[in-house]
Amino acid sequence: MSRGPSRRSGLRDVPVPVPVRTGTGTGPALPRPPLDVVQQWFQAVVTHPAGVAAGAASPAAQRLVRLDRGALEQLVRRSRRLTAEQRLEIYANAYYARLLECLRDTFPVLAQVLGAEVFDSFAFDYLQRYPSRSYTLYRLAESFPRFLDETRPEQPRAADSTAAAGPAWPDFLIDLATLELAIAEVFDGPGAEGEPLLAPADLLARRAGGDFAKARLAPVPCLRLLRFGYPVNAFYSSARAMRSRQPVESPEILDAHAAPEPASADGAAAADLPIPDPGEEHVALSRTDYVVRRYSLTPFESAVLAALVAGATVGDAIAGAAAASELPDDELAAQLDAAFRRWTIAGFFRAATS
Amino acid sequence: MTTPPRLGHANLGLGVGLRAAHFDHILRHQPAVDWFEVISENFVDSGGRPRHVLRQIAERYPVVMHGVSLSIGSTDPLDFSYLGKLKTLAREVDARWISDHLCWTGVLGSNTHDLLPVPFTEATLAHVAARVRTVQDFLERPLVLENPSSYVTFAHSTMSEWEFVSRLAEAADCGLLLDVNNVYVSSFNHDLDPDEFIRSLPHHRIVQFHLAGHADYVTHLIDTHDHHVVDPVWELYRTAHQLTGGVSTLLEWDARIPPFPVVHAEVLKAKRFMGERLPAPPPLTGIAPATTPPAAATTSRTPPQVPHPLHHLRPEVA
Repeated sequence: MSRGPSRRSGLRDVPVPVPVRTGTGTGPALPRPPLDVVQQWFQAVVTHPAGVAAGAASPAAQRLVRLDRGALEQLVRRSRRLTAEQRLEIYANAYYARLLECLRDTFPVLAQVLGAEVFDSFAFDYLQRYPSRSYTLYRLAESFPRFLDETRPEQPRAADSTAAAGPAWPDFLIDLATLELAIAEVFDGPGAEGEPLLAPADLLARRAGGDFAKARLAPVPCLRLLRFGYPVNAFYSSARAMRSRQPVESPEILDAHAAPEPASADGAAAADLPIPDPGEEHVALSRTDYVVRRYSLTPFESAVLAALVAGATVGDAIAGAAAASELPDDELAAQLDAAFRRWTIAGFFRAATS
Repeated sequence: MTTPPRLGHANLGLGVGLRAAHFDHILRHQPAVDWFEVISENFVDSGGRPRHVLRQIAERYPVVMHGVSLSIGSTDPLDFSYLGKLKTLAREVDARWISDHLCWTGVLGSNTHDLLPVPFTEATLAHVAARVRTVQDFLERPLVLENPSSYVTFAHSTMSEWEFVSRLAEAADCGLLLDVNNVYVSSFNHDLDPDEFIRSLPHHRIVQFHLAGHADYVTHLIDTHDHHVVDPVWELYRTAHQLTGGVSTLLEWDARIPPFPVVHAEVLKAKRFMGERLPAPPPLTGIAPATTPPAAATTSRTPPQVPHPLHHLRPEVA
């Protein structure tokens, strides 16, 4: 187990091991372990990646309660039908089942791409490195893209790499995970529904007034700008479209928490979608009417938006982005006209202030 | 006895646990449900659709907040940031009461997101009672605690669960949420008599009932909330209703969720067990846990299922 209680500091002292009698007897546990020791022991046992027996034998658990294998019933009673170990396994199984289910919910397309078994393997390892430390499950997935990056193979797999010097397949998975995590965060994060937003007509008025270049546009809090090395947003759309064409196997199951469909359904769909070639992709996420919307951006548009979000005036944002672009000015101007109109229709900005 | 029945709370009638799968149906059809219970963690941090939907529902229906993260039995410090969010949301939706579970969810800063059992000892009782009082002082209202389903008991427990629950309620002056299905599940798992459990509680402190379905693994039951309520649980409900005189009753359905009318119809079955002329409750031994699965239960051959409630919603994305 990767997290030993003694590594924690500030909460309480490292507990003294409680010598629950060793051996295989079934008598009462003496002395009675204090509640904090029982809880630390229980957590160490039911979250151990190799199961209850390994958890009870682990240094983390043994440091708390010295208990020989087979002596679990000195601490946990057996029932008429199950041993103490079997009963503890119910919690151990539920721990991983619950959290894997949440991670699959957060990364549905990534889970399709990898297939259920491989995704669960990644997720299982993730939980060892980044166990939940929040009261809410909505933060459970927040380090998953980082985990994928930290555990990426040293060398790209030759068969999967399309260019020796280019990004390799792990980058695709990390980009896809990053996109899906951002979607989840935007979905339930702060938004601007019900607030007055900058409308296309406001934009035209500002431009007609001649002070548009000096304006600073306040982005809505749900606007997120993302840059990827693979076209994962396009891939995401394709995967969702493919999934929507899958036959509904269990029409009575309407649950947002339902168990994932069998790998043979989703997995087959994902297998039909090849990993795309590397290619830079810029994406904006936002939310209107409480639904997350995805917008493809050109590199120039992305640069302008990023500068605006950082607080630059419209004029400075455009000038900076144009200076970094190799496109001719007339092409950039055409992009800008269309882009500002799209962005205001999409509700990217709250208001314009000079 | 100075404590009023239900701690003075009204009997809200027959309610349903609010789930995202039913958001659209409820907003569109405004079904004649008496009240809704929400999983607090689905809403306390929400800046999106869940909280927007809850605000609309709270304008029309009584709402009760039911949490899964209080961890009242943990030896970790209480999370006052979380408690503050509970208090804010309760004010926003005029929550009639706030409930959680008699359990712990993690220690040393970790969270298993499960409802883990405590040993029933004098030391645990003192620890939990003190924390309940602290929480109640902070929330400025009584806490209502639910008996969770459990799958182990501790060898060094010195009292039964019902004795622990009863003494806790008196010591901390809190309310009880009697989950009738959990009584059945835990009693089966621990070879206990569910009828004795229910009869032994301080009935005037029971503010609310929970009903739900479970999965039957033959050797044990798991509180999956994915099925109809089984007949033995309805019989326990009949007893509980008679003993309390009737309290707010709530159906939970958290996995393989059917259309809303099915869920609503399930809780309305409770009326059959709460008539004016109630039959005598069954004898103590009449509904002891069976060793064979009840006909209506889910007898699962699949890998272990997740005990519920689970607080996580899928995003909506175009």
